[in-house]
Amino acid sequence: MELATLKKDVWGREVILGASWDLLWVILALTFIGIAVHAIVVATKKRKAAPDSSGKRIERHEKIDRIFHWVMAVSMIILLITGIFPKIGIEFAWLTIHWVAGLLLTVIIIFHIFRSIFWQNLKDMWIGLNDLKEPFDESYKPGKYSLAQKSLHASVTILTLLVIISGIIMFALIDTPWWERTNALSEDMLGWVFLTHGLVSLALVAIISLHIYFGLRPEKLFYTRSMIKGWISEHEKNENHDQEKWVSKN
Amino acid sequence: MPSYDVMPEVQLYQPTEVDDALNLAEKFRQQGWLLGGGQDTYGWLKDRAKNPTALIDLNDIEAFKGIKTTSAGIEIGALTTLRDIIRDPLINDHFPILAKAAGRVASPQIRNVGTLGGNLIQDTRCWYYRRGLACYRAGGNICYADSPEGMNREHALFNASRCVAVSPSDTATALVALNATMIIKNIDGDREMSAEDFFVGPDTHITQMTALEPGEILTGIKLSNEWSKARYYFEKIADRDVWDFALVSIAVVIKEEANTILDSRMVCGGVACTPYRLTKVEQYLKSNPLSEKTINKAAKIASQGAETLNYNHFKIPLMENLVKRALRS
Repeated sequence: MELATLKKDVWGREVILGASWDLLWVILALTFIGIAVHAIVVATKKRKAAPDSSGKRIERHEKIDRIFHWVMAVSMIILLITGIFPKIGIEFAWLTIHWVAGLLLTVIIIFHIFRSIFWQNLKDMWIGLNDLKEPFDESYKPGKYSLAQKSLHASVTILTLLVIISGIIMFALIDTPWWERTNALSEDMLGWVFLTHGLVSLALVAIISLHIYFGLRPEKLFYTRSMIKGWISEHEKNENHDQEKWVSKN
Repeated sequence: MPSYDVMPEVQLYQPTEVDDALNLAEKFRQQGWLLGGGQDTYGWLKDRAKNPTALIDLNDIEAFKGIKTTSAGIEIGALTTLRDIIRDPLINDHFPILAKAAGRVASPQIRNVGTLGGNLIQDTRCWYYRRGLACYRAGGNICYADSPEGMNREHALFNASRCVAVSPSDTATALVALNATMIIKNIDGDREMSAEDFFVGPDTHITQMTALEPGEILTGIKLSNEWSKARYYFEKIADRDVWDFALVSIAVVIKEEANTILDSRMVCGGVACTPYRLTKVEQYLKSNPLSEKTINKAAKIASQGAETLNYNHFKIPLMENLVKRALRS
């Protein structure tokens, strides 16, 4: 299994064409095997009683952050569908939808960067050394976000920034309402950009699949509810989070 | 890329029955090359720009040949030669625009062996693609024609999406104008689709020119009586009068009464990846009496939305003048 496909450039030299899309099936298979294994392992363990969702409500996500999350989710799904479906033989006029969704993603990510720097507490999402105790110490409780959530965020951050940067370079090389394409990149550089965009997209398929799986797991559903309605109960917070590390506003 | 000038090793199948041909098409799919007149085959193979495993020669299948009347109009086998179409009295009587378009294909020698089906499904003439370069159309990630140095005199004005190649078929424009129906077979049965839908653009299918899927064979073309004996105009402008592809062509059929156009279908070749239907012009003509003013306006409407490349600006006045000539004829 190869990561990249190759082609001959105009001078007859072998250059990278882009990612090998056969990898999609490998990624999907590995992801779903991982999910199945996790589901089986969790099912064999004794399940703790779910904390009560009634009682005092604690705000976990402000409305604007929830809107950001779901707009990002929709744009990401559109990007993956429009980017990958034509590669597996489902053909439709995808290009315009793809770059419009890509622009939307770029704009909201820029918004999120500014918001997280100036209006949110960046430390809530940073992975510190203490966080690494979490998987090995059952008594350890995280702050607002668990190590798994922070890891997912860090992965999505890196992958999304890479896919946006490579996407913007590719965007500059197609005709748009604002400019005509220039073919300014050499073919080998172009190949690296396509390879980056493709491999990162494939990694995002895996990460997003895992994210959806964990978001739908019964013991995590209250986090998904909080991303829709904004709150978790005080019981849910006390059960899963350290009160001193996550000082809520209400 | 070397030109070997000799054929590569390739299996040759010469089925005589339709079912055998369909089974072979299904067996080899993308690796099977459907051979009609062979006029756009051997160059690809000799240049090693296409490397099929098998040639499926359809010329011995009589069911794919000939012109016959049906209750709804005429049905033409895809293996019918262009010469037979040009000379057929039925076509000349009912659909002379098709005979005219077929008569402008390539050269007499090519028309003697070239088939209607082959002319319709032939690949684009973009020389970067023909040369075997890994452009978008060849599955790559770049268009060599639409670049600052690219030679794109023959390329598209409309509906380009990454690839700017144009449809080279002369008969395609006439068949879209005539609202023809394409008959497509595969081992599971038949399907029919309009000629307009048969030709596909790069926005959806960047590596193919038609809606034919692997394993399918274009077996015939139906012409309904809808546009039988309608006033028509066909003109093809090329660098050479013989053995050349259209820079711009136009195929028009018109139903008129007195000085009013009741209905029309106008199609340009050489300006888009598919035969480019001038629907806005058709609509404009329906609501306006045919006058010089109307004709001039129609010509301007025809070229609206054109996006020129470095060397194909000349196609805009060429196209506009063809619209004028078609309407004045």
